[in-house]
Amino acid sequence: MKLSYNFVATLLLVFSFCLLIPTSSWSQMEETVPSVEVPDIKALKTHPEVLTLEHARDGRRVLVSGQTKDGKWVDVTSWAVLKPVSDDVKLYEDGYIFPAAVGNTKIMVTVKGVTTELPVNVKSIDSPPVSFVRDVMPILSHAGCNNGTCHGAAKGKNGFKLSLRGYDPDFDYELLIEDISGRRFNRAFPGQSLMLLKPTSEVPHKGGQVIVPDSRDYNLIHQWISEGVVSDVETTQRVERLEVLPDSAELSMPGTKQQLIVIAHYPDGTTRDVTREAKFTSSMNEVAKVTDDGVVTAERRGETAILTRYEGAYSTNGIIVMGDRSGYEWVETPVYNYIDTHVHNKLKKLKILPSELCTDEEFIRRIYFDMTGLPPTPDKVRSFLADKTASKDKREKLINELVETTEYVDHWTHKWGDLLQSNRKFLGERGMWLFQQWIHESIAENRPYDKFVHDLITATGSAYQNPAANYFRVSREYTAAVENTTQLFLGVRFSCNKCHDHPFEVWTQNQYYEMGAFFSDVKLKNGRLPGEEVVYASFNPTPVQHPRTLAVVPPSVPFGETKKEITNKRESLAEWLTSADNSMFAKAGVNRIWSYFMGRGIIEPVDDIRTSNPPSNPELLEALTKDFVESGFDIKHIMKTIASSRTYQQSIKTNKWNKEDTINFSHGIARRLTAEQLLDAIGVATGSQPKFQGVPKEFRAVQLPDSKVKDDGFLKLFGRPERESSCECERTTEVSLAHAMNLINGPTVANAIIDPNGRIAKLLKENKDDRVIVEEMYLATFARLPMENEYTTAVEHLASAESKEEGVQDLMWALINSPAFLFNR
Amino acid sequence: MISLPQTPGRLCDGFSRREFLRVGGAAMMGISLPQVLSLQAKASTTVDPAKPLNGWGKANSVILLFLQGGPSHIDIWDPKPDAPSNIRGEFNPIPTNVPGIQLSETMPRLAQQMDKACLIRSVSYTPAGLFNHTAAMYQMVTGETPDKVAPSGQLDPPSPADHPNAAAHIAKIRPPDEPMLAAVQLPRPMQESNIIGKGGNAGFLGRAYDPYFLFQDPNKEIKLDDLTLRPEVPPMRLKRRKNLLETINANMPEIDKVADSYALNEYYEKAYDLILSQKARNAFDLSQETDEMRDKYGRHTFGQSALLARRLVEAGTRFVQVNWPSVANGNPNDTAWDTHAANFGPLKNLHCPKLDSAVSSLLEDLDQKGMLDETLVLAIGEFGRSPRMGISTSGNGNAPDGRDHWPYCYTGLIAGAGVKGGQVYGKSDATGSTPLEKPVHPRDILATVYHTLGIDPHTIVMNHLDQPRELVKGEVITGIF
Repeated sequence: MKLSYNFVATLLLVFSFCLLIPTSSWSQMEETVPSVEVPDIKALKTHPEVLTLEHARDGRRVLVSGQTKDGKWVDVTSWAVLKPVSDDVKLYEDGYIFPAAVGNTKIMVTVKGVTTELPVNVKSIDSPPVSFVRDVMPILSHAGCNNGTCHGAAKGKNGFKLSLRGYDPDFDYELLIEDISGRRFNRAFPGQSLMLLKPTSEVPHKGGQVIVPDSRDYNLIHQWISEGVVSDVETTQRVERLEVLPDSAELSMPGTKQQLIVIAHYPDGTTRDVTREAKFTSSMNEVAKVTDDGVVTAERRGETAILTRYEGAYSTNGIIVMGDRSGYEWVETPVYNYIDTHVHNKLKKLKILPSELCTDEEFIRRIYFDMTGLPPTPDKVRSFLADKTASKDKREKLINELVETTEYVDHWTHKWGDLLQSNRKFLGERGMWLFQQWIHESIAENRPYDKFVHDLITATGSAYQNPAANYFRVSREYTAAVENTTQLFLGVRFSCNKCHDHPFEVWTQNQYYEMGAFFSDVKLKNGRLPGEEVVYASFNPTPVQHPRTLAVVPPSVPFGETKKEITNKRESLAEWLTSADNSMFAKAGVNRIWSYFMGRGIIEPVDDIRTSNPPSNPELLEALTKDFVESGFDIKHIMKTIASSRTYQQSIKTNKWNKEDTINFSHGIARRLTAEQLLDAIGVATGSQPKFQGVPKEFRAVQLPDSKVKDDGFLKLFGRPERESSCECERTTEVSLAHAMNLINGPTVANAIIDPNGRIAKLLKENKDDRVIVEEMYLATFARLPMENEYTTAVEHLASAESKEEGVQDLMWALINSPAFLFNR
Repeated sequence: MISLPQTPGRLCDGFSRREFLRVGGAAMMGISLPQVLSLQAKASTTVDPAKPLNGWGKANSVILLFLQGGPSHIDIWDPKPDAPSNIRGEFNPIPTNVPGIQLSETMPRLAQQMDKACLIRSVSYTPAGLFNHTAAMYQMVTGETPDKVAPSGQLDPPSPADHPNAAAHIAKIRPPDEPMLAAVQLPRPMQESNIIGKGGNAGFLGRAYDPYFLFQDPNKEIKLDDLTLRPEVPPMRLKRRKNLLETINANMPEIDKVADSYALNEYYEKAYDLILSQKARNAFDLSQETDEMRDKYGRHTFGQSALLARRLVEAGTRFVQVNWPSVANGNPNDTAWDTHAANFGPLKNLHCPKLDSAVSSLLEDLDQKGMLDETLVLAIGEFGRSPRMGISTSGNGNAPDGRDHWPYCYTGLIAGAGVKGGQVYGKSDATGSTPLEKPVHPRDILATVYHTLGIDPHTIVMNHLDQPRELVKGEVITGIF
């Protein structure tokens, strides 16, 4: 075994070396990507149809599309040959067209023998003064100078600092001209300025050569220095929005290319082609990659979003790579509710077929875990299977029953206890129990989600009397309140824009502190009882200051608006936050709930919602959001709707057409059981009660009030969160060597199996028939009856074991260690 | 499938998105993430001629003897016989087997192994805000300063957002070549007062990369629950169970696919190997050493821990961290290094004999076994102690015969893996207060650790928020090789 493992590793190593040899071989690599032939085309068109160039530096690119024989327009920019008819325009290697003389001219565009004309109108060939904001800053970003790993690092690099990705031009200008040696700018001989010598690597530069001498970037900086290193930060506005062409694209085969063109729109109405300076990222590199100059190449079937960034403006554009789908035909699939309609629409668009419905056995195990965190007992499974009602109806019935159980309440109390960080470290023991009880009551009465959140955000008074006030005992500083509130209830990570504008998002540093100002009057004082803390709104708020300007920041919401004048700060914040008009709130909430049932969010991660992380099915998310709002933020209603959909009830078994799909909910997604689910499932399977310290002895893992309750180490190992973060990522459900060792040979499973009061001991005492024992074991672990060959294997094993007891224990051990047990599937 | 996190644009060291992409491609071929990263590390070494070759990739393993508490450098490694008596202290210098290098009289046995080790006498940093042990220890093993301090003025307890211990990064990037525990930490957690384990775990990398914690006293019998087969399950029975499990799984191909996507079967195979081969358990079994060897290391927790470290490294473990077994509890006769009072008697009679026997035996033993060339050995604390006795530098009270915390200048011992033995690197001033030349930051020491393992210290890793972070912002101490 060991030998073959090493052998495979060696093979992979040799193979991977080929893949990993740095940059020089990259161009060869690129050629190995299937290259697509120039398609036969019958017509050509350009975008724009007429090109207007405003001044000497107004370089533009054009998109060229060709019409194929079957009438489809495809991108042929990469193959287009452009020939100006006169010297009035100049063509650069990177496809940019620059003016050379004023007047009208044209460019002949040819692809595979088909030619079209592109009229060009040059209005001026003057070079306007260089703008620091619009010209120089973009170059610093484009060359990577202000990256987080270069001069944009918190402490800069080699004594020179810039704001991260140029979010603060004023700051950057100040730092640039704060030039102790006087060598950074040489206005008389601009070429001798360090600002040109460093990036061109003419003097040693650790970042290497990032600007080529005499390039357009170089000349621009040269001109800026010779014009006197002037800042226009005060007078010039930055980009307002980006327009990326085409808006979305469907690429047929791996290797197909699509050129993107990026137009920056400024508040003064002017535009620029910034394709060359824009940064492109593909959200799924294995589907399509995008080069620095905006060429998208299809890699394999799937969907990706291209995020385009330029000077703090963003655009996200969807790319579908269809691949070879010949033979695909949609099969009419039952629709249980609106969820299925939206899911199926997306599947049809991508030529995917959904999986079969899961079996009743699979369904009962899945719905029990998802609703209650527990597996069904053998008796529950038996009676569900014996029920002769039509499958769809009895599933519906079971869903409706489960949301009314106490196990449902325990399970979701635990989940919200995680998210709200109910933890004795922050709350003390009494505070923790009271907070848990408060959450428990909210879940039990199915308190509307907007009300639940409103209660938390506006909570005041003693946390002993109003446990919702524990929210501010966890988030004691306004910074924590901002970060937790946005991440929990808007699904947005504000922690990045605490120190700088969000690098991939519209959120700014200002908004962080404006949001913080809503919490500026939240204060805590000791109550009369030991450990009692009282949350109150102070008449002397601690002003929230912007860390750089030190200006006091007034409260303001990051989008939309608060309804009336702000008198009670948290009240207005909560009203805005939980309002039906705030679609982010309902959307983030419903997406979270969806993920708990479906294994991933429509936006994933669920607490990292941003333009660059688009939903996999926007219509579905929209419909769920609407339903959630219209139901009055009814959590049970949404859960029941999700669980009743055919989409939820699909098998994890894939078919030819959906086996590669991971984001469109075309099949069930298996997930490792969480730490608590796993421990409780072992408890149900073996009939052995796990032991915890300091709680009633019949407590299940999911009922524990926090992570400080001691068990035998199992829960921590399997990823129980410490409850010190509002991030879903605090809980882990990976599988590692330590987990395998624990399940194989650790005390938890071993002790549960040999428990003298457990299921095995009981079965043996009752002297049951081998077949009956095997059946019971399968029901207790896999929630299904054994298949005939499984009966045979198991009965044979029992017969060959040293003793029947050993045989049964081994069988239980094997069932627990099987992925069929370890996963919710 | 594993895909590497997105990296927008080009990174400073020329590590481009395309390279990530290629790694992504490799991942699709079924190589695990750790393997990819490990290959990446190796690949970048073999082909990048710009990398200094000194010590690069020489080490297979690292043993960190972490002297938590802050041992007094003047009284151990960097004697100052010519300084005034309130600095010099009570000890005299002794010669070593390397002409020109002296140690304090507290380290007579190490003096005879000096030819195998390098003393860095210019370790130095200025604490960012905090002057406490936990902050300094956190920095020592993660390379980062903590960003959150509890209202008590101490650090917050360990959190999943913490920076990973170097052992965790190494376990992820360079997992062992054969089934063995990647990283082990013993015989007790890192600790200051009630803050236990800060900096000792995998932090944002996730628990899967936590070291194996053996918080037991190897000078007594060690209990290994998950490595030792239980009496009712002898190897034959475990093998039977394994076969039965495989038969059961074979009946459910769809679920087996799920298991594959989590690499479950590989982990199970490795786990069976570890448990059945007894390799790890044997490594922990000190009774397989001769009495002479055990006596030599010293029959105390630290000595036996050092011996255990050698056994683990021999069995393939990448990173062993031996934490000094005592932390301050107010009793000067406890062997904690935090000698705010009674610096001299206990040091001479309690602490140093243990340190001396363990470090000297480890160096000699590794050398005799031919393992020193591929094992990097470090013995260092989170800071040294104030040259002047009886003064307060940390806000703590100090007895006239005590020394306070001193991060501005202290000494670390480094040996093996190509480090030239018998040398002193850097130099402290006449009172051991400040480096005179070649100051070394703790981050530089971590960078050197990664470097000897063939891992570029500037490798970008993604934290829990998907932000790109350098392994360590330090520079390799190339001058020691």
